[in-house]
Amino acid sequence: MSPAATGRTGAEAPAPPATMREALNRALDEALAEDPATLVFGEDVGRLGGVFRVTDGLQQRYGEHRVFDTPLAEAAIAGMAVGLAMNGWRPVPELQFDGFAYPALDQIVNQIARMNYRSRGRAPMPVTVRVPSFGGIRAPEHHGESLEAVFAHVPGLKVAAPSDAPDAYRMLLQSIRSDDPVVFLEPKARYWDRGPGPSGPEAPGPEAPGELPVGASRVVRSGRHATLVAWGAMVHRCLRAAELAAEDGVDLEVVDLRWLKPIDAAGLAESVRRTRRAVVVHEAPLTAGLGGEVSALITEGAFSRLAAPVQRVAGFDVPYPAGPLEPQYLPTLDRILSAVQRTFGA
Amino acid sequence: MTTDTLQAAVPLRYTAPDPGAEGVPVLLVHGFGSDFELNWVRTGWTRALADLPVAGCDLRGHGGSGKPHDAASYTPGALVGDLVALLDALGTEQCDVVGYSLGARLAWELALAHPARVRRAVLAGFGPRDAFAGADLDDLESDDSAFGQVYRAASRLPGADPAALAACARGQAAHPFRSAPAPESVPMLLMAGERDDLATGMEDLARETGAAALRAPGRDHRTAVAAQGLKKAAAEFLTAQAAVPRG
Amino acid sequence: MTHPEETTFHLPDLGEGLVEATVLEWLVRPGDRVERNGPLVEVETTKSAAEIPSPHAGVVARLHAEEGETVAVGAPLVTFEVAAQDAAGIVGTVPTEEAPRRRVRLRPPEDE
Repeated sequence: MSPAATGRTGAEAPAPPATMREALNRALDEALAEDPATLVFGEDVGRLGGVFRVTDGLQQRYGEHRVFDTPLAEAAIAGMAVGLAMNGWRPVPELQFDGFAYPALDQIVNQIARMNYRSRGRAPMPVTVRVPSFGGIRAPEHHGESLEAVFAHVPGLKVAAPSDAPDAYRMLLQSIRSDDPVVFLEPKARYWDRGPGPSGPEAPGPEAPGELPVGASRVVRSGRHATLVAWGAMVHRCLRAAELAAEDGVDLEVVDLRWLKPIDAAGLAESVRRTRRAVVVHEAPLTAGLGGEVSALITEGAFSRLAAPVQRVAGFDVPYPAGPLEPQYLPTLDRILSAVQRTFGA
Repeated sequence: MTTDTLQAAVPLRYTAPDPGAEGVPVLLVHGFGSDFELNWVRTGWTRALADLPVAGCDLRGHGGSGKPHDAASYTPGALVGDLVALLDALGTEQCDVVGYSLGARLAWELALAHPARVRRAVLAGFGPRDAFAGADLDDLESDDSAFGQVYRAASRLPGADPAALAACARGQAAHPFRSAPAPESVPMLLMAGERDDLATGMEDLARETGAAALRAPGRDHRTAVAAQGLKKAAAEFLTAQAAVPRG
Repeated sequence: MTHPEETTFHLPDLGEGLVEATVLEWLVRPGDRVERNGPLVEVETTKSAAEIPSPHAGVVARLHAEEGETVAVGAPLVTFEVAAQDAAGIVGTVPTEEAPRRRVRLRPPEDE
């Protein structure tokens, strides 16, 4: 682990801000420290410390009874979380890659999401399922999927997708402390990134709480001409697009949605009622993607103020492409800017 | 190296050198109850000989090869016949042969029966003494001899066929090793662990045949197979430029 | 970016249900430079002898067992100093931040 995450640097050299994976590691560390019922498990999370080093050092610190490796069996990983939660544990399983979350869906949808209802509240599921998600690292098939709409459609689940390191830290702790099941989608492409986006607010380090409630979005760049709505790695891209737009005298607001279930309908409406235009950007394929839901919420909450139909910029309706084609598949700056221009009526 | 199966009356699973590999191929012949992977790959031999084209097979009755249950299928002649068939299939006119234990005995027999096919031979974990001395080959499950213990350890390995192994032992024992006549034109290197009981008399055999002999300190029959010193000596012997002087 | 980092290699599962192995002979000493897949140690199990190759390229920092000592599968065997690559993990590559490129130019809306 880097000095940034352990805070053991010399006084003369201030530590650089933590990367997202270090911030997540710190959050897991704190969750394990504060509640002996917290368990971290999944493929390679123990001895190896995770294929992305997110769980680095945790097994050494908390032992192999609290941080442990599982077989390559996602249904078993999620199913184990159900039983552990019913017996008073606070499981934080990892599904190593988004594409391999599908085998776990039965346990997540039919058990984790419903148990609290089925048991009339006697068996809450304080489970946080971490899923390294989305594209951007040129990985092979099944290693770059966007499942947020799948999870958000399931009643009983909360879905989180942080966009930068400080927020990832806060949201993960919040998710683990919650007695409701949370599917926590970590943007792989931002794991190595330190701190907020280039034009984002001066975000506090992992030490500062600065906590927003579950379900709250945040404005990461204020603007008056249109609102870009995104989550995960696309927040960073929207901030880039806003910088380019500023060169043309166009002032874009960027909303980091953060929670994809529940969605901050009031926050979206507030922003778009000011800017009168909205573009929602996501990596997942367009059709039946979460952009449709966001668009509907904006339309319901700001219809009278909208100057143009809400635009969606998304992945194409094709299976996620091989690594070299990622740049063509993921929403580009030009596609985002073109969508903004469409809301201007030209 | 690539692995395939030679289709014959008794199918032979074999490993072939990479196409285009240069030099005299080295034929690795494993010991009783072992196989190519266990005897040569896991012990680091194929790593130590990585610069040479390496071939080998699972002997009949072993590993992924056919496993007849009659002793007549396991005479030294039958096993050597498989080795010659493999050399033919690989298009190898002449090879260097390295054998361990039973494989060393077969290397000797190959060099004796087909001297033109063998350039140099390394005989490891092997001596002229009868390996089956005192063994009750009809009741190996309760036999207390040294060989009985080897048999039981081998027959409990995953994939082992105890009936085939017992037949193999009977087929070999029916044709005891004789140190004369010896292969005439094939330079040999003998090697074994210092405490290898099955290699008793190795130095005598070396003197008789004019071969060089080498012992790995502290090793017995089971552990000498992985000894670094033996692998290195074999590699040097096989890659020596001029014909190796005898004696 | 690279920086030296220690990594410990644990005795791997040798198959066949074996739970331990005895160190026959170390083929490296602390301070030795080893290549990935180079010979590291010879071990003996109840079923066979084997040579374990090095899983890393690096410098041997510490050996965790003496010759003749029995080591449980999963117990530390040797610690290496390796040049840590800030790699993505088992798959993928670390994304690089590129200068933004654009073709589309915007005109501000006329209704402001």
